Amino acid sequence: MSEARWDVIVIGGGVVGCAVTRRFALAGAKTLLLERGRDILSGASKANSAILHTGFDAPPGSLEVACMQAGYQEYLDIHTRLNLPVLKTAALVVAWTEEQLAQLDGIVSKAHENGVDDARQISRQDLLGRETGLSTTALGAVEVPREYVIDPWSAPLAYLKQAVRAGAGYQFDTEVKSGAFDGEYWHLDTGQQRISGRLVINCTGTNGDNIEQICRKPGFEIRPRKGQFLVYDKSASALINSIILPVPTATTKGVVLTKTIFGNLLLGPTAEEQQDRNIATVEREMLDGLIATGIEMLPGLAGHSVTATYAGLRPATQFKDYQISAEPGKNWIGVNGIRSTGLTAALGIAAHVQRLCGETYSDLANFGPAAAAEWPVMPVLAEHEKRAYQQGDGTEIVCHCERVTRGEIEAALDESDVPARSLGGLRRRTRVMMGRCNGFYCSARVAELTQGRISPPLAGHEKDQS
Amino acid sequence: MSSVDIDVAIVGSGPSGIAAATALSKAGFKNIVVYERETNIGGIPRHTHHPSFGLRVFKRPMSGPKFIAALVRRCPDVRFETSTTITALRPGGVLELASASGLRTIRARHIILATGARETPRHGRMVPGLRPQGVITTGALQQYIYSAQLLPFERPVIVGTELVSFSALWTLRHAGIIPVAMIETGPRISAYRPATLFAKAMGVPIRYNTEITDISGIETLTQITTRTRGIKTATIPCDGLIFSGCFTGENTVAAASHLSLNASNRIPLVDQNWITSDPCVSAIGNAIHPADMGDQCYLEGAKAGAYVAQLLAGNISLDKAFSEIRRGEGIKMTTPSILRSDIFGEPHFDLSFHVTAPFRGAVRISQGEQVLNEKSINGLPMRRITLRNNRFATGYPVDVSLIAEN
Ligand SMILES: Cc1cc2nc3c(=O)[nH]c(=O)nc-3n(C[C@H](O)[C@H](O)[C@H](O)COP(=O)(O)OP(=O)(O)OC[C@H]3O[C@@H](n4cnc5c(N)ncnc54)[C@H](O)[C@@H]3O)c2cc1C
Repeated sequence: MSEARWDVIVIGGGVVGCAVTRRFALAGAKTLLLERGRDILSGASKANSAILHTGFDAPPGSLEVACMQAGYQEYLDIHTRLNLPVLKTAALVVAWTEEQLAQLDGIVSKAHENGVDDARQISRQDLLGRETGLSTTALGAVEVPREYVIDPWSAPLAYLKQAVRAGAGYQFDTEVKSGAFDGEYWHLDTGQQRISGRLVINCTGTNGDNIEQICRKPGFEIRPRKGQFLVYDKSASALINSIILPVPTATTKGVVLTKTIFGNLLLGPTAEEQQDRNIATVEREMLDGLIATGIEMLPGLAGHSVTATYAGLRPATQFKDYQISAEPGKNWIGVNGIRSTGLTAALGIAAHVQRLCGETYSDLANFGPAAAAEWPVMPVLAEHEKRAYQQGDGTEIVCHCERVTRGEIEAALDESDVPARSLGGLRRRTRVMMGRCNGFYCSARVAELTQGRISPPLAGHEKDQS
Repeated sequence: MSSVDIDVAIVGSGPSGIAAATALSKAGFKNIVVYERETNIGGIPRHTHHPSFGLRVFKRPMSGPKFIAALVRRCPDVRFETSTTITALRPGGVLELASASGLRTIRARHIILATGARETPRHGRMVPGLRPQGVITTGALQQYIYSAQLLPFERPVIVGTELVSFSALWTLRHAGIIPVAMIETGPRISAYRPATLFAKAMGVPIRYNTEITDISGIETLTQITTRTRGIKTATIPCDGLIFSGCFTGENTVAAASHLSLNASNRIPLVDQNWITSDPCVSAIGNAIHPADMGDQCYLEGAKAGAYVAQLLAGNISLDKAFSEIRRGEGIKMTTPSILRSDIFGEPHFDLSFHVTAPFRGAVRISQGEQVLNEKSINGLPMRRITLRNNRFATGYPVDVSLIAEN
């Protein structure tokens, strides 16, 4: 294994790392993705709001808005071929105070400046006509018709699968600890292994500044910002039609109400600065605060139960914009500070990084003949599309809350590109155990189906080891 | 309008569903089907292996699987369709069914929902902390140990002290596991006091006035942090956490349908004969009163099934309209939750309810100025209180209220 020499090594299997791996693999580079977790999406990418943003409220002229808009467009261009879903909800930026109402004008002009020409202000009457569940204290809104909801887990998985089919490799449970550049190759050390490649691309999210140290002094500092979320039962999702956004403040986009692609209603996130890079807990007081905010906006939420709570860490820095740069002469590109817009921007970031690579390292510009793109077809998990249980895949439903069939579970474990090897990975690939009962009905059955196939196992682990 | 496919569709094969099917079968109905989404029939008892069933129905204690087997012997003609999930209920007796071959629709003259209950898990209770593996419910525990013969952990903590929490204890004992502790937010156990002896005999401490403030462990659970009496914090190393009790009805299908619901718990409203707001749909068992003992659910299902038999035989003409039962403060839920006239003798009803907190005093059922019934009670939240044979006038709301001792 230490003999293997890669063209490109991508460190970090979040949505950005997966998109970058795809882009370089398709360009013909022999690309390897390294991820310290047991599966892709072990960091910020597993816990976000899952909105495909137009970039209407991003800082005009920024790299962020450019990558978001390129990423947005590429997602729409490729999603049907990968069988990735889009829920075309539109978003409404709702003003709840006179002060916020006065800001709507500015939001519309910023949107227009960013090329989101169809954003427009709508009256209180129009707003309450469209969103009958909304509290009547709402005063008006900006409509952004092309803000959509997507599947935050299937998308990066599809990117990596496509990369694998184009010849890319990946390695989980692999944490890069240090590395050295010999003028031609990087030799990365994981404690167990030395892995060599000509170009390293750092996509490690909240660990970005630490990994950056391997090559250079980072010009930024990661300041993790935690976001806590509540997922309401599917019964609540009919309470809204569009994504309900607040008027943003200087520091945060604020608390959002949105449908999820899986038919739930999502409320969050909070925005809390914290020191720890990896641990994101949910806290009762913050959740109670979120619920109160949610009910204030959407009174009907009160009778509905909570299916899940979770927290994620945004890899923010002291700067507003992304921190993406190549180190001349050192074959190293850092992709950092992809705060809270990475899901949308990932494909755009990947294209940007490829361009940056070509500009900075002329010898690396052409890796080889571009790979013929194969298009993996992702399983249908979106609630508004025809799921396996509705088609009848010949197997019984195992998870009753999310209606996941045995066939779907087996497929996720058996598939050859990037099979599920952990419970988290299986849950994100199939929705199993993601529902309101948290596994009351199906977890023992899932333990049986996954025995010897996931790590850590759901059950019997002490016995298995002896 | 498509033609009717079957007489009665029963959704759920737990004790209440089996009971309703048995009653209908005894009344001569042949074209009835019990739909069950699991691969085996029996509902919760199918994985509850200790002898806590059968006392009222068979006058002897039996394990859950034996109880179910004995119930099934009483209804040899009933057809069960397993691995079949009802995914939607529509007006006009229409059900959408999912099975291995996909979706199909059937129409029944009457539908009985007997979909049971489950425990509120960690997320529904919004318990803080991380999300490691090893955090489950009693229902899942029973399936791990009894159905799959797998051990999810070896040093768990049980959250709650309801009857089912002691079922968890029993199940663990069967697997040779002694839990680290049981924790309870209140000052006493929720189950009947003698249950503490069982915990004592196993050497399991019960920590009262205690709540969980943190769950730790990145992949698998390593410890929990608790707070007692709002001040004293402690960490308990453990590799499993069992959230027991705190039942909620499994009413996904009903709640997404045209049926009228109780706004606070999204349980379908039922009248004194278990008929919902739609006269061709009944709802019975733990789905509408999470959660009572299996025997109680069986006896209720039998009555509800017999009533539907009368209805389908044309012996009863049912009023579409109904009146509400209004709950006073301190009353969690009532069964029935609505009343309707069925022009079938003098209207009367039995009322069961639970209190939200321990209560000593009287309960009064009244209609306007008129007191229909009054009884002194010593109520605990898990104890089901029943007032029988209350006569009422149709068309007016009925009030149930608690009157404190002075
Ligand atoms: C963990 C646990 C332990 C318990 N222990 C005891 C005990 O020891 N003794 C005791 O007396 N009681 C016990 N109980 C109470 C128990 O719920 C009752 O004994 C009894 O099972 C209730 O009967 P039921 O028919 O209403 O519901 P259930 O037994 O829950 O049956 C409902 C059935 O409906 C099926 N179903 C649900 N939705 C659908 C759908 N959409 N389509 C098709 N099928 C569907 C379910 O799969 C299930 O099989 C326990 C409960 C729990 C949760």
